[in-house]
Amino acid sequence: MFLFGRNVAQGARLRALRALYRSFNEQNGPEARARRLLREWLSPEQRAQFDVNGFFEVTGSLTGRRYRIHQCTMSNVLELDEKLEPKVGWCFLPERALAVGDVMLAQKIALETDEAAVLAIAKSFSPRLPFVPRAVRRAP
Amino acid sequence: MATQIVMDSTGDSRHFFEEDDPKGLAEAERRFKMFTGRGFTAATRTPAGDLKLIRTFDPTAKETLFYPHLVGG
Repeated sequence: MFLFGRNVAQGARLRALRALYRSFNEQNGPEARARRLLREWLSPEQRAQFDVNGFFEVTGSLTGRRYRIHQCTMSNVLELDEKLEPKVGWCFLPERALAVGDVMLAQKIALETDEAAVLAIAKSFSPRLPFVPRAVRRAP
Repeated sequence: MATQIVMDSTGDSRHFFEEDDPKGLAEAERRFKMFTGRGFTAATRTPAGDLKLIRTFDPTAKETLFYPHLVGG
């Protein structure tokens, strides 16, 4: 009886430790850290847009065109037309594997500061392809 | 206190230094050259929030962000 009680207590302690570890990871893992960094570097308007829709828009430094950056690491940048409808997709990303927030931040900075260099390396794709992100809502 | 933020597989790594400490500044400049030499791009923000790419070490920058070289997907 005494041993059984001790096992139950140990099990509960283990579960609590696992929950603590999971919670720590969720708040301090690469994805969470990258997301925090991204939010710090977004303009207030972009941050609000990102929090609501899971994407944000930037203005190209050379052409003044509008781009929508979706929450994804590939094929996630869409150039918008005058009606803010997707016109063409652009695929470019950091050469090292990074968390989603870091990829989005690198894409934002590149488009806002050196659009010409981005367009020189990016591969275009049709925004009507089935895998192209629509409005991806943020996980609760 | 100034910060250099480097994007990596952990999310980011941060290096702090005092702008008025010659030793800290020298170390920060060495880090700047090392990361840009490895193909990272360095960016800073103006007080108004505008982004700026920098090619040489800026000892007055409060925050410098390094992201890896971009490639076409």
